[in-house]
Amino acid sequence: MSIPRQFQGYSTEHFFDKMFSGNGELRARSHYEKIYQRLDRLTETEISERRQQADSSFLEHGITFTVYGDEGGTERIFPFDLIPRVIPESEWNVVENGLRQRIIALNLFLNDIYHDRKIIKDKIIPEEIINSSKNYRPEMVGFDPPQEVYAHICGTDLIRDDQGNYLVLEDNARCPSGASYLLENREIMKRAFPQTFGGMSVRPVEAYPDLLLRTLEYLSPRKSQKPVCVLLTPGVYNSAYFEHTFLARQMGIEIVEGKDLIAIDSCIYMRTTRGLVQVDVIYRRLDDDFLDPMVFREESMLGVAGLMDAYLKGNVALANAVGTGVADDKVTYAYVPDMIKYYLNQEPILSNVPTYLCWRDTDRAHVLENLENLVVKAANESGGYGMLIGNQSTLKERDEFARLIEAHPREYIAQPIISLSRHPTFCQEGIEGRHVDLRPFILYGEDVEIVPGGLTRVALKKGSLVVNSSQGGGSKDTWVLREF
Amino acid sequence: MQLYVFHRTSYRYPGPVTESYNELRLHPLSNVWQKCLSSTLSILPICRTQSYLDLNGNIVHHFELPEEHQKLVIEARSLVETSQRVDFNNFPYGVNLCSLSKMEVVPEYRDYLQSSSYVEINPKVWRMAVDLQGETKDVFQTAYQVMEFIYQNFEYCKSTTTVDTHANEVLDIRRGVCQDFAHAALALCRCLGIPARYVSGYFFDSTRDRRMRGAEASHAWIEVMVQGHGWFGLDPTNNRVVDDTYVILGTGRDYRDVAPITGSYYGPRPHQFDVTVRVKRSDTC
Repeated sequence: MSIPRQFQGYSTEHFFDKMFSGNGELRARSHYEKIYQRLDRLTETEISERRQQADSSFLEHGITFTVYGDEGGTERIFPFDLIPRVIPESEWNVVENGLRQRIIALNLFLNDIYHDRKIIKDKIIPEEIINSSKNYRPEMVGFDPPQEVYAHICGTDLIRDDQGNYLVLEDNARCPSGASYLLENREIMKRAFPQTFGGMSVRPVEAYPDLLLRTLEYLSPRKSQKPVCVLLTPGVYNSAYFEHTFLARQMGIEIVEGKDLIAIDSCIYMRTTRGLVQVDVIYRRLDDDFLDPMVFREESMLGVAGLMDAYLKGNVALANAVGTGVADDKVTYAYVPDMIKYYLNQEPILSNVPTYLCWRDTDRAHVLENLENLVVKAANESGGYGMLIGNQSTLKERDEFARLIEAHPREYIAQPIISLSRHPTFCQEGIEGRHVDLRPFILYGEDVEIVPGGLTRVALKKGSLVVNSSQGGGSKDTWVLREF
Repeated sequence: MQLYVFHRTSYRYPGPVTESYNELRLHPLSNVWQKCLSSTLSILPICRTQSYLDLNGNIVHHFELPEEHQKLVIEARSLVETSQRVDFNNFPYGVNLCSLSKMEVVPEYRDYLQSSSYVEINPKVWRMAVDLQGETKDVFQTAYQVMEFIYQNFEYCKSTTTVDTHANEVLDIRRGVCQDFAHAALALCRCLGIPARYVSGYFFDSTRDRRMRGAEASHAWIEVMVQGHGWFGLDPTNNRVVDDTYVILGTGRDYRDVAPITGSYYGPRPHQFDVTVRVKRSDTC
């Protein structure tokens, strides 16, 4: 087959490319064959037409997000790329198994550190790591959350290295966002390429809101009646507000702000036009810190006074539980493979990215000497903030980070710069390879459920390794193929 | 077929219990009919498990919780690749019942021809079995008739029997659940000299209206030895020859050898006991 026009001049360089195998000569991987052919038949106008359709569809649906710390206006469309990322079923099965194993171990870990701390007594994880984690909540010690699950919704970021191996980059066990984009992207792709989509037996993702609702309802303390679930949002200024409204609407539950809820006699009620309604489950998209001014940050206007009291008395369930952040701390992350071995007696199916912990003297010395070859990350930041990419940094930035690391070694980790796999993406100058990652969403209610695929994020800036929406990232639809 | 099994068992005790020692047989076997791709056990309160193979070749995990606790939750998640196992157009007919006398001396089968904890060979059962056999001289045909007889004449009923109900009683009251039906079938087969063993496991209900019985719990059935053809699974609860919709956890003389969870502890009886089993097909969606 000749190379389609669009791919003239395309080069995989030295990266692992999702669509093409081999170096030099372009050979499409078999599961990309149809997409490759389809792109070949598209004319320039057709492509731009479809892109306009997609963009306007995003605008109409108000799929936007907010960038913090940016002076020039804040609300933006989340850029969408029309070339889907395709994952064969056999590959996905490994990922799914690995994620399931990981979420079970993480939940056992959370249970353990808020109860008997056996993993510390057995000297697998040092105690100071846990106690010094910003997101460790002593209030949770000895408390049994509903159904003994802590992280009900987890977004785990995966990358592929230059060999194509999936690696876990981080676990987001607090309030992961992105599921709404995953659903919207699919809607748009179905409209933009109905034939190709129909011809490839792509596994559906539409069940996500339903699975999420079932996960929430499973937690209800009142088993005798239909649970009242609500989504607690910090409000319209939050970067993921679109997602909050989207998911609440999809699930058919109320979206509330802190001021819509009130605690009476250790129960939580929602103010409605028909009076107070008792709430059973709160899907909170609010960090622990802001949940309850009586317990956490006093100045928080976003939370509900008395919420923790109701929660700890078992009268209302929270998803995720309070204190899950200690599991997605980037220092704890380094110990997840050990957790899997300790709790489950198994070898991890998905590997971690090798991680240097700056609080270890030997690791820190290595990090400080090799700053230009490493990625340094703050242990408790997310969204691509507080990060240094060694080979793209200036000497001044490196000195700044070196000082920070010396001052707060517990707060920093470093990882080698992984040459992330790339995926063909529409860019200004035609189709080019861009770095991508994958965020599958894991739901843990009665059992673990993972919708096939996840959100593929793509770093649209040439050469950039940061895929976060707040740092100029976009997204793609992810197609997990069914094999017969 | 690839099947995913989720099995959760939880006990809640009215007061603290201590010195809990438990054995689990929740890890699917890997044999010629099925391959266990992964099996993950998680237990609360947190504890570590050890495993070994028992005399029947089943995988056993054991754990101990010496400290005080008021609940115990055991979750097993397994992914199993099963094979068709049986050719429905070509059952192993043609093996005469006379051939069975040779089986008695084979040590491997001896256990499966005798009485065991839940199964007794006695004249009453023998009489029933011989009547059932009638004119049939074929091993598989006879075993099939035993299965059919139980399916047609026994009432599937969850509340009449307990985990301790003996095959004799089941044959008497003709009521019970899969465990009882399997024990009754074992008794009848063994009386006729057909080596028969108890199988514990799960099965996936592929019918559109989910009309099969026992799919939402641990299931049990029997296997009979047809000389020259090997073990064949028969499910008297659903009147079916065992195929790729079944997942085997373990085999033994009867329930006692393969009980999914057994153990002992000091303290009061649980006041709440829940079991959830979900079997899903994972190779299509």
